[in-house]
Amino acid sequence: MKKILLACSSGMSTSLLVTKMKEYAQSIGEEAEIWAVGQDKAKEDMRKADAVLIGPQMSFLKSELQKEADQYNIQVEVIDMMAYGMADGKKAYEQALSLMVNQ
Amino acid sequence: MFEKISQFLVPIAGRLNNNRYLQVLRDAFMLAFPLTIFGSIFVVLTNLPFLNKIMNASMLTSFQSHFGIASTATMGIMSVFVVFGIGYYLSKSYQVEAVFGGAIALVSFLLLTPFIIQPETGDAITGVIPVDRLGAKGMFLGMITAFLSGEIYRRIVQKNLTIKMPAGVPPAVAKSFAALIPAFITLTVFLLINVMVTLFFKTNMHDVIYHAIQAPLVGLGSGIIPTLIAVFFIQILWFFGLHGQIIINSVMDPIWNTLQVENLSAYTAGKEIPHIISKPFMEIYTVGMGGTGMTLAIVFTILIFMKSRQMKQVSKLGLAPGIFNVNEPIIFGLPIVMNPIIIVPWVLAPMVVTLVTYLAMSAGLVPPPTGVTVPWTVPLFINGIMATNSIMGGVMQLINLLIVFVIWFPFLKAMDKLNLAKEKEQAVQETAAQQNDNSIKM
Repeated sequence: MKKILLACSSGMSTSLLVTKMKEYAQSIGEEAEIWAVGQDKAKEDMRKADAVLIGPQMSFLKSELQKEADQYNIQVEVIDMMAYGMADGKKAYEQALSLMVNQ
Repeated sequence: MFEKISQFLVPIAGRLNNNRYLQVLRDAFMLAFPLTIFGSIFVVLTNLPFLNKIMNASMLTSFQSHFGIASTATMGIMSVFVVFGIGYYLSKSYQVEAVFGGAIALVSFLLLTPFIIQPETGDAITGVIPVDRLGAKGMFLGMITAFLSGEIYRRIVQKNLTIKMPAGVPPAVAKSFAALIPAFITLTVFLLINVMVTLFFKTNMHDVIYHAIQAPLVGLGSGIIPTLIAVFFIQILWFFGLHGQIIINSVMDPIWNTLQVENLSAYTAGKEIPHIISKPFMEIYTVGMGGTGMTLAIVFTILIFMKSRQMKQVSKLGLAPGIFNVNEPIIFGLPIVMNPIIIVPWVLAPMVVTLVTYLAMSAGLVPPPTGVTVPWTVPLFINGIMATNSIMGGVMQLINLLIVFVIWFPFLKAMDKLNLAKEKEQAVQETAAQQNDNSIKM
């Protein structure tokens, strides 16, 4: 089971991408739990995740969230801008997986 | 060049976003948000334009006064929630007992509040709290008091000046004793401030802060020039892919929210609405038209007039979220971010729209927002009508969309041309590659 957390300002715009990522994960037969939260809940939800992706409009959060994520030994990355804009579930899902490889 | 500016902006944005006080302020206003929505719904319901046709005058008055408490008890005393929220979230950020931090902030604020009303004629009424001091008028004093009391409280707790209970005492009891000394010292500070101000200066902190800080700041914030500057910075930040509102609003919200509460109090009292610029103005006439930059107009323009496959695809994707004012697909997919062709209309259109809306409202063609809170995800036209309690509020938005369309059209056309050329080139390359493939196979 792969657990991916997405965070943006209010969790609303990333929730669109969540749906697409879930669809993609299902289509390749992988079990994944993917959810979106606002920035205020990101730190709290992090402990349940294997990787954290943040919306590009919140890129300035990365260093602060990564500090927190280090405790759980997970990676935080900004979602590729084009993948985010086009709600490209495949690309974003693969980006999340690439963050788990290094663990 | 854009890359360099971006590298410069990201850390600034981060620092503003992560600033403890601004973060606490944001959370405190979020605490008031569901309450203001509740109050707003009843203001809208009791002021529906056709009510005077289905009810007689006395019924309407009674209906309005009975349900009017919904907004008086929420937005009418908004400072209470903001003060408690600041005390709570500030203490939480320092990891000291948060609920006491909130309660202490609230009492500190009340200690500075005169429990007296002086009517214009006749004797003063004592033993009452004037509602307006807990609403818009006390907002800045409330915020300042809450931050100060929160800081004093947590410093004393962190210095360990607390009464420790032996193990075995129930935790709730132990906690209330632990808060005793910090609460006592913090509240004494504010009590003494109040005694000094009332005794020696014959005034109160409410009036001092209101005249020295709140009125000038709020007056400044309600002007069109500062508003246009704020819009300009929001657009520029988004151009670099950063969430403009989160950063700019954390500075402007105290002013915009105060203006909103002032408007609502005037509106529910049946007086003329004093300010055009307020929080709802910013939400409904800049964000509430398809998202930041009024991108719904852009989505329609592309779907109807443009030919590029990539642009059409993004617009289709952006249409449904755009109706609910979420526009990240357009911002990052079109893209708007770091797209030099687009920076001019992106920054210009919202500023023109803000100015035109402001002028239309000051000329009396469109009523200003009444001060009710409309959630920012309510679609365009509906949110305009709800916010102003007038069909003209919605019509204004449609006119604004037209303005956005006119400003953007030539730029979108140029972008379309470039994209079409690129797509054609790709198609040629693909067929060439296929032919190559085929010839190898042969």
